[in-house]
Amino acid sequence: MTRDEFLRRLQRGLDGMPADAASDILGDYAAHFDAARAEGRSDAEVAEALGDPGRLARELRLEAGIRRWEQVRSPSSAWTAVIAFLGLGAIDILVLLPVLLPAIGVIFGLYVAVLALFVGGGATLIVGPFSGFPGGTAAAVLCGLGLMAAAVALGALLTIVTIGLVNALLWFGRLHYRVIEPAITPERSEP
Amino acid sequence: MPESIEIQLKKGVLVLCVLALLSRGNSYAYEIASRLSHAVGMGEGTIYPLMRRMQSDGLVATYLEESPSGPPRKYYRLTDAGHQSLAAQLAEWRGFVTAVDGIVGDIEPAASAETDHDS
Repeated sequence: MTRDEFLRRLQRGLDGMPADAASDILGDYAAHFDAARAEGRSDAEVAEALGDPGRLARELRLEAGIRRWEQVRSPSSAWTAVIAFLGLGAIDILVLLPVLLPAIGVIFGLYVAVLALFVGGGATLIVGPFSGFPGGTAAAVLCGLGLMAAAVALGALLTIVTIGLVNALLWFGRLHYRVIEPAITPERSEP
Repeated sequence: MPESIEIQLKKGVLVLCVLALLSRGNSYAYEIASRLSHAVGMGEGTIYPLMRRMQSDGLVATYLEESPSGPPRKYYRLTDAGHQSLAAQLAEWRGFVTAVDGIVGDIEPAASAETDHDS
């Protein structure tokens, strides 16, 4: 494989990553080929030592996704990282899929339920006192506040569970690195 | 799949090795990779995710320097946090080596023990 072919396949694999991150990575590997050429090594030899560019791209995407998730705990960074995890396409990850997809569905459903509970509590709080809530105005206000508080508590609990699940998935994904091992390993503790 | 003690050890000391190399002088990724792949048997492409990770952890910083051939090269240098991390990891490593040596230091390899037995 030539330098250009390696870089083209790497670039195709990194498609969808933020453009500056992808061009940083491509620049690194281009410089690697150039430095190796200066030492008289052939492109084929260097490409062989670097490993499969498609596989490399998938692992780098997951690694970038994990780093972003570690910095910004947001639904979108979690989603990007989980997609990159699935993109790794290891056999046992595919086996995991029938379990994983329903789990994602259940979590999403629970979030919707929590939101509904919150809205329902708010409605009871506002509308209840004027529409003959059984027990009177005070009961309606307290009931509404109670429902909203319960929704907030459940939402917080659900968020903790979701973060734990995403962390476990990404840890599991890192176990499947082949090309960028051993530099990135799941055991390595953060300084 | 159990990994050999050698692979486990190499994984553990990769960051320490990179920090130590950079403490001797600033360097670019290809040079770090070729020194490490000879000494520790690390795949040369793995240096880039490692360096990026060390950079986002604040252990190293980059700057561009003209190269004798071709475009400017990205050089890595240790940050203050990198120097501190090197000192801490080095102390840990030395302590570990001393402790293990204290235990295994005076054992003869099994092969020679067997030949002793035969003779």
